[in-house]
Amino acid sequence: MSYHSLKLCSGKGAYEAVPEPKRRLDLRRVRTRLERSGRSVIDARVMLLVGGDPEVTIMQDGRLVIKTPDARQAESAFRDLLPLLEGT
Amino acid sequence: MALGVVLMSGGIDSPVAADMILSQGHRLVAVHMDNRPFTDDSPLAKVRDHLKVLSARYGSPIPLTVLPHGSTQIALMRNTDRHVGCVLCRRFMWRAAEQVALREGAGFLVTGEALGQVASQTLSNMRTATSAVALPIVRPLVGFDKQEIEARAKALGTYGISTRPGLCCQAVPDKPATRTSLLKILEEEDRLDVGRMVEDVSRHAQVL
Repeated sequence: MSYHSLKLCSGKGAYEAVPEPKRRLDLRRVRTRLERSGRSVIDARVMLLVGGDPEVTIMQDGRLVIKTPDARQAESAFRDLLPLLEGT
Repeated sequence: MALGVVLMSGGIDSPVAADMILSQGHRLVAVHMDNRPFTDDSPLAKVRDHLKVLSARYGSPIPLTVLPHGSTQIALMRNTDRHVGCVLCRRFMWRAAEQVALREGAGFLVTGEALGQVASQTLSNMRTATSAVALPIVRPLVGFDKQEIEARAKALGTYGISTRPGLCCQAVPDKPATRTSLLKILEEEDRLDVGRMVEDVSRHAQVL
């Protein structure tokens, strides 16, 4: 699964990762994987809210919003989550 | 002079709307709908700083009630049509604000809405959103364009606070409806226990 490089959101409070090409995630499978890896997850059906520092929102269309204005922290969180999204 | 409840989001518009009401000699209590985890801590911090500016300007503190809204957003996402999510969200905000108004003895609600700026602020959506409450809603900015509002915010000293880094609401659907019928909205709300949700929110109010 590949993504465009992380981009600072318009509000400058978070980074966004957009998948290329566009795709639809199976959020139930993603949720199971996240919980098995020890992460807390709120399932809002159309998106998953993943606890931690930073918090991450995973949208059904594959977009991730990583809630930190710190580029390095965002990149690190993105790299940690990416394997859990593969094949979903 | 009357007492009102103003919805404060942390954005550019609401402190300007509050200022226009306060400048006429009315009193306000503020309500902030806390949208975490669909946003971050920044909106609440901005609201608190907006209220410091307004309190200093008018020489009296403006009480702030913070109401949780994240659990409402989750219930809406799980149970209702995403297309009309913004209108449903607004209806819950209005209901929560009205509860605060009734408790405080306030007679009207105030918002920074201006006609047509975003999906929730079309005339059609304003009508369907506000039919959830009985108190009158005052919109001092309704006919202003964005430039006029920003100019007022800069003069007031709240613009710099509003434009600090922050996270936009992530609960906004990709294609929010700009026209909604009340019948459709009521059908969607039939999937929810509206009364219990409003009670839950009121019970978790924090007065700062």
